[in-house]
Amino acid sequence: MKKNPWKRVCLYLFVFAVCVIILYPYFVMFTTAAKTNEEMYSTTAGILPKEFKWSNFIDVWSAAPIMKYMFNSIIVAGGATLIAILCGIPAAYALSRMKFKGKGFFMGAVIMSQMFSPVVLLVGINRMMSSIGLKDSLLGLILLNAAFNQAFAIWLLRGTFTSISSEMEQAAKIDGCGTVQALVRILLPMAAPGIITTLIFVFINSWNEYTIALTLISSDVLKPITVGINVFYGFNMIQWQYLFATSIYATIPVIILFLCIEKHLVAGLTSGGVKG
Amino acid sequence: MKNRAKPETLRTMKKIEPYIWLLPSILMMGCMIMIPIFNVFRASVTEISKVGVYKEFNGFANYISVFKKQTFWHTLQNTVVWTIVVVGLSTLIGFILALVLNVEFHGRKLVRAVIVFPWATALIIQSVVWKYIINADYGALNALLYNLGIIDHYVNWTATPGAFFAWECFVGIFVTVPFVTFCVLSGLQSIDASLYEACKVDGASFWAQLFKVTVPLVMPSLTVSTVLNIIYVFNSFPIVWTISKGDPADQTHTLVTYLYDLSFSNGKFGEAAAVSVIGFLILAACASVYMILSLRAEQED
Amino acid sequence: MLLVLTMVLALAACGGSGKTTETQAPAAAGTEAAPADAGSEKVTLDVIISQYGNYTQAWWTDFEQNFEAANKDIDLNIEIVSWNDIYSIVTTRISNNDQPDILNISGFADYVADDLLMPATEYTSEALQANFIDSFWASNEMDGTVWALPILASCRALFVNTELLNGAGITAAPTTWEEVVTACDAIKATYGDTVVPWGLDISTDEGQAAFAYYTWNFGGGFVDANGDWALNSAENVQAVEFIKSMIDGGYCNAAPYTDTRYPLQDAFSAGTLAMMIGPMNMVSSTSTVKYEAVSIPGNGVGLGVCDQLMVFKDPAVKEQDPARTAAISKFFDAFYECETYSDYMVYEGFLPATKDASDNLAKNAEKYTVGGDSGATGSSEYFATFCAVLPTCSFYPMQKAEWMDVRNGVIDVEQQVCQGLISAQDALDALQAEVVG
Repeated sequence: MKKNPWKRVCLYLFVFAVCVIILYPYFVMFTTAAKTNEEMYSTTAGILPKEFKWSNFIDVWSAAPIMKYMFNSIIVAGGATLIAILCGIPAAYALSRMKFKGKGFFMGAVIMSQMFSPVVLLVGINRMMSSIGLKDSLLGLILLNAAFNQAFAIWLLRGTFTSISSEMEQAAKIDGCGTVQALVRILLPMAAPGIITTLIFVFINSWNEYTIALTLISSDVLKPITVGINVFYGFNMIQWQYLFATSIYATIPVIILFLCIEKHLVAGLTSGGVKG
Repeated sequence: MKNRAKPETLRTMKKIEPYIWLLPSILMMGCMIMIPIFNVFRASVTEISKVGVYKEFNGFANYISVFKKQTFWHTLQNTVVWTIVVVGLSTLIGFILALVLNVEFHGRKLVRAVIVFPWATALIIQSVVWKYIINADYGALNALLYNLGIIDHYVNWTATPGAFFAWECFVGIFVTVPFVTFCVLSGLQSIDASLYEACKVDGASFWAQLFKVTVPLVMPSLTVSTVLNIIYVFNSFPIVWTISKGDPADQTHTLVTYLYDLSFSNGKFGEAAAVSVIGFLILAACASVYMILSLRAEQED
Repeated sequence: MLLVLTMVLALAACGGSGKTTETQAPAAAGTEAAPADAGSEKVTLDVIISQYGNYTQAWWTDFEQNFEAANKDIDLNIEIVSWNDIYSIVTTRISNNDQPDILNISGFADYVADDLLMPATEYTSEALQANFIDSFWASNEMDGTVWALPILASCRALFVNTELLNGAGITAAPTTWEEVVTACDAIKATYGDTVVPWGLDISTDEGQAAFAYYTWNFGGGFVDANGDWALNSAENVQAVEFIKSMIDGGYCNAAPYTDTRYPLQDAFSAGTLAMMIGPMNMVSSTSTVKYEAVSIPGNGVGLGVCDQLMVFKDPAVKEQDPARTAAISKFFDAFYECETYSDYMVYEGFLPATKDASDNLAKNAEKYTVGGDSGATGSSEYFATFCAVLPTCSFYPMQKAEWMDVRNGVIDVEQQVCQGLISAQDALDALQAEVVG
């Protein structure tokens, strides 16, 4: 296979085409963000803007409290990730290391909980959150995101834990370690790739969440970025250039995060997936 | 007495220990998800006013009026098409991409990085960009193709409901492929290289190698990604809602956008709840099939 | 070490979260007690305002600060919500018994049907009641009670890009539907694909406006002379068929089913759309396009839109708290105060619903600035003209209980007919039967 030059060419062509298609929307986002409002609606536009209005990328910061929105998103995604993983690890541990009644039922319930899209549950969610006083609060959003990602976290972590032999923990227990100690000292370090993958998944899902935040959060100062960009979708005009400039700012951190863990991603999915 | 009591408590401790480990996550999901789910079931058998006031129990009236609507049946059909097409094609494309990315070549790292992009972008942002791209009057795609000389006048990309729906499926696939690619890639990486060596020695063709070695071994990864994707795609909201809101003439709805439209544009909360319960039952049926199959597989092991 | 720490945190956090939910659940059951405790001397008013422009938030932030400084005992909680989301947000809050105190939205009949609103006379002073332009005040009447206050008005007219029309050899803006078609043909012949001749929005966003423009100007409408629903009149059938012919003729923007008015307005402001019916403030203040606003072709009936401010009853108590009602009165007195209100009208580019502000703006609009940092001021001439036009406009029959169903129904009809799924006659017959039957 390696020897055949034609195959190589085909491979490169294919890969190049894929990259072009994937990058195209980002190219559009970027060039549109640099357009003037008039050119946005031009029916004779070129591929690139006639005149790059770079100031859009700076003006957008004063057009809306984007810093604040980004900060909220970080808090929500970070908090949700922490809670989801802290609740998920013990559950996954029990599922992978212990035998008990109702295990199948619990696994079933975990999957079931994923079958309702948050959109479906909007009214119920809001009703419940206002009854416990967490409406229009970041804490409420954090808990919801953690809950909706719980099933995924448990699933991935359980797969990871199951793929790791329990011999080392048994040995540690004989040496007088408690279960918790064995988990923390022995298992968790070994499961690091799977844990990192899970962390990132939950973080991204929470960062990108839109519908719950839209109805749960009403104060402007508490909006995450996905909801915050709606200000450019206003009543009398759509400010595409700001919308896209903000979209770029909202996407960059996630992409960087993803790139940092790309290696672990594959490793983590391997361990999580094998016994999925 | 004391001597006997101690092992007794120890045994009880052992019995309840797993549940203590599960407790945080049970509490979390119980409060945040189960209560709203219960609420949906209740709403589906309740008469609810147009602006959201709960009135009285009305049995299956909501379900009956949903079943009477032609739009509902069309939506159901759309949802099935949407789920099968998006999950199916994403899995196929993701699988091929993973195979390619598993080959050593220059710039592989770069390509793998690029493939992450759609996954890392909020769905709502992705949807808005595509909506702008495919706009027929001033959209970026027409401008690009026109300037490259591929088209000689602007094309109306969304002339029919079918065209809208096809674009929505395309965007759905676009954002789903990376997840599949990485799942399969992780599966591929756990395959022992010696297996392929053995194939080569046997003189097995590329296809034989693919179906005899690769596919069976990445099956677990594929199953995980497919099951998760079915649930996510079935319940996906922002793509269809942003691009067409289910229009023209309610022809491009999926169940989720349809019930959102029913509740928030038409004020039919009871019927919307009924639609969500129906959607849930469909997914639950699929899930039980999956669970039965995987249980059987486990027993065979 | 770090891991030990996280684990400890895990247990602490999980235990904690479990406890709080458990202890808070019973507390929530006794909601009666909660407001009484919190009800110190300060009254909090939740206000939801619709987003009328890109700078709506800034104006209301200022208003909130000034108001709270002048009324130390009132805590205003103003939230600006986009038109995209406002209905879902409000209904979600209502089904959670968490309605705002004051809401700015379009349409009130459904809230009245559920007995959620306070009659307007209970919280507006007589002076303020007398100050509203009579027809606006009366337009919010249902079953003999006025349920809402008009916040602002606007009227819709036909906007034509005069340069594009002249370039295509059309010297005067069309006044009949035939002339519209002629103009569209001329524009298409002259500019090809580069100019969209006619802007059309039959999306779920505002498709009922299109229905109003065309049916009224073909001689039909939502209701007959007696005020009863008359959706399947011959004129309406003709009007809907005309909409379809405009799409089939290739005169319209490519996706009228999903294009809302906003991108169309922007396209008009950018000079790539030649004609469209829109609100009088639709052309962007930075636009260089030469345009003219004229009566809608046909009968020249414009669409008047008048959004409302309404007050919800406090769901937690049987007898409304007089302190809350007094605070609400103060809010309205402050908002409709001539200077403040005139300022807001110029800021957003709408027409006032009060007499003193209409008089004021017809003379002194230059005193106030338009929202944003363009530095533009209002134009007295503009207000004088449009305030005079407004009485000739027709309004949606919003006070009828079936309005929301009709609104959604006519949009469905337009979309289905234009997609060629059903004939205009059949679709309108079915809708009429559904609404009346």
